[in-house]
Amino acid sequence: MSPAKRDVLVCIGLAIVLALVPLVIGTRYIITQMTLFFIWAIVVTQWNLVLGVAGIFSLAQMALFAVGAYATAMLAYYFAIPVIVAMPAAALITVAASLVIGAACLRLRGPYVALLTLAIAQVIYLVVVNDTACFTNPPSGCLPLFGGVRGFSRFGDLGFRALLGSKFYVAHYYVGLSLAVLAVMFSIAIIRGPLGLAFKALRDNPGYAMSRGISKFKYQLWVFGLSAFFTGLAGAFYAAQFGVVGPIVFSIAMLLFLLSMIVVGGMGTIWGPLLGAALLMLADEGMREVGDWRDIGLGLVLAVFVILLPKGLAGVRLRRAKAGL
Amino acid sequence: MSAVLDLAGVSSGYGHHLVIRDVSLRVEEGTLAALVGPNGHGKTTLLRTISGLVRVRSGTVSFRGRRIETLRPDETVAAGIIHVPQGDLLFPDMTVLENLRMGAYLPDAAQRESQRLEEVFALLPKLKERQAQLASTLSGGERRMVGIGRGLMAGGNILMLDEPSLGLAPIVIDQIYAVIQSLKSSGRTILIVEENATRIAEMADVLHLLDNGSFAWSGSGSDFLSSPEIIATYLGA
Amino acid sequence: MDVLVQIIASGLTLGAMYAISTIGLALVYGSLNMLNMAHGALLALGGYVCLYAMTVLGFPAVAGVAMAMAVCGIAGLLIYHLAARPMLASRNFETQIFIATIGIGAVLENVILRVFGPQPVAQPLKVDGAVIIGSVYVPNQNILILGVAVLLMAVVAFVLNRTRMGRAIRATAQNRDAAQLMGIRIGKVYAQVLMISGALAAVSGIMISSLSGLLPNMGGDPMLKAFVICVVAGLGNVYGAVAAAIVLGLLESLIQYVFGVQYSFAILLMLVIAVLIWRPAGLFGRTQVVRM
Repeated sequence: MSPAKRDVLVCIGLAIVLALVPLVIGTRYIITQMTLFFIWAIVVTQWNLVLGVAGIFSLAQMALFAVGAYATAMLAYYFAIPVIVAMPAAALITVAASLVIGAACLRLRGPYVALLTLAIAQVIYLVVVNDTACFTNPPSGCLPLFGGVRGFSRFGDLGFRALLGSKFYVAHYYVGLSLAVLAVMFSIAIIRGPLGLAFKALRDNPGYAMSRGISKFKYQLWVFGLSAFFTGLAGAFYAAQFGVVGPIVFSIAMLLFLLSMIVVGGMGTIWGPLLGAALLMLADEGMREVGDWRDIGLGLVLAVFVILLPKGLAGVRLRRAKAGL
Repeated sequence: MSAVLDLAGVSSGYGHHLVIRDVSLRVEEGTLAALVGPNGHGKTTLLRTISGLVRVRSGTVSFRGRRIETLRPDETVAAGIIHVPQGDLLFPDMTVLENLRMGAYLPDAAQRESQRLEEVFALLPKLKERQAQLASTLSGGERRMVGIGRGLMAGGNILMLDEPSLGLAPIVIDQIYAVIQSLKSSGRTILIVEENATRIAEMADVLHLLDNGSFAWSGSGSDFLSSPEIIATYLGA
Repeated sequence: MDVLVQIIASGLTLGAMYAISTIGLALVYGSLNMLNMAHGALLALGGYVCLYAMTVLGFPAVAGVAMAMAVCGIAGLLIYHLAARPMLASRNFETQIFIATIGIGAVLENVILRVFGPQPVAQPLKVDGAVIIGSVYVPNQNILILGVAVLLMAVVAFVLNRTRMGRAIRATAQNRDAAQLMGIRIGKVYAQVLMISGALAAVSGIMISSLSGLLPNMGGDPMLKAFVICVVAGLGNVYGAVAAAIVLGLLESLIQYVFGVQYSFAILLMLVIAVLIWRPAGLFGRTQVVRM
């Protein structure tokens, strides 16, 4: 069986198992957390494509996620567009934003890309938080154009609340699952498809690859833009799921959390980031008791994994498999 | 005669890939030994292995009776191995004089810095004229001379030159060869990697042909010149 | 006229503070291609150690600064030995050390948060009074910062140009292999450079906190600015970094005056992006080298 076929089958199998979960587990908290897992799964699979496959050391991923979330909230809030329509629109806006960022950064060398994308993310954050001039004055008080420190709320939802009442979160679970499956399928298509091959060629033999007309910049921009679509969609769904969008999506802690998922799972692999997302969310759940130490633990996990296990858990498994042969 | 440098069954390489396989080599005191062979067959890697820039995987390297195969590059320099690398690797934003003085970085050499500087300027008078110029602004031939002069500043007991004529105009190559000839005449032990096998063979006491990571032929320079079939087989000339 | 004096006075102070922490980053990047993302946490650490030494231990100001420099220097050394050294041979060193130091920075910052709490504190090392130029008040604190920064830059330049250690650092930055063939132990150079960078971060952190107060996450923005300055100068270019720091300090002060504080960083960054599209290796950039 070809690796691509195997990966697709694994994805379908996982999707079926996960689709059965709400039939067995009725606890709202667990279902909601799993919905959040789907959101993070989308973000890390797409970020992984950028970092691990295309070799773009971008730290703008959470900023793009935020663009998706904010665009959804703002379209719904200011123009009363239904959230279900605002979501794909927001994803396209995210793609546009990513292309601007990509055009500015991608011609630069690795470390420059990391610094500039981080700086751009920080600028977006500062613009959102520092803008205190009232744009509108709803009953809840002054609201700056980008929501300011408080952010947006009450911009509508996907409509499942009206349809299903208190069970709406199950519908959100399935929406999240569907989006995550799409994102993972997309990631398989990139990694196993021609783009993945092109990047492998660029890594292994840059001179030959370029002489065959493989333009690194062009391919990187493609991956950057396409992965921004799902990242933006994940942000949009985050907005719809929680009904609130605030500057917390820009926080360094959140960036750290998601980056750790990729590093722990294994950068550049299809399933590593998903494994990392699941493990870190479980660990985070476990550390809820010692909340104060959460960020210290997260920082340690990140540093220790990069230093001692740079290929992540997926790397360990691969090495074992090779040794077994 | 005693061997200054003695390699026994040395293998080395990068990552999982071995470039040098089971090479044994003796360089006698006061002789000039040459390594020739096609490009990409390990000549440079062999020098880098001796100076410690590439790690020895197996085998032993002895230098003046002392085992050095586990030493770091800075330790092999201190032991007396001078490696003038391919492509010169000058310090581009230092002047010629600063570059030369870097050669005498280690305390022993620093003590004799001014004396050695005079010797280098006597051998390579062009450098005296250029001493205040930034290395990045020099011509190819001048760069090569700075590279050699910087190596000489360290003193040492063996001078390893990696392709000293690479990329130079014929007239400059003649100058460089004249310098090598006078270094040889002064009694220095020299290990040289050369592309131009027939030219170095005229000067070399011993010549080794490195093919695909190991020695395909060893002998005196004159034997090499009288073996046209060897030259034709390995060097296609 | 007065406005101009005001802008120049505060711009120079900003530029001098940026320059001090930027030099350290540029040295580290120039020598071992390492972007130290824990630098911001080191800025905060330096500020808090000085506070601790002066208020809890009752040290005089000079001893407080010395202690901060020592602690941050040791922290830099630890970062080298625990994080950078094990990964040096890796093909993806630049990416890995970047991520590892993000983690280390987060740990350090949150330890400071646990120990000193989240509330802002004033830096005790502060001089009062002001000099009046025309009708403009220039606080003595700003003048002190400027003076110390100039002094430190002179010391760094002296060390790099005139000492054996400095020559080894420059040689390593300009060509790593050649430096080793001169007998330089580059591992030692790396350790020294991270120590120097840590000690400079401590001073920079004390300067920044003396103007805007101490907070555990105070290092984030200054670090980002220092990196942006490095990028504008061309990563690893020490003298270019000093020039870029002062120019950007003046520019920031001008933008603050014209557009207001909240937009200064954003506008600065857009300028930087424009510069990088125009010259991808930085304004003075050729490659990463420590230039003299």
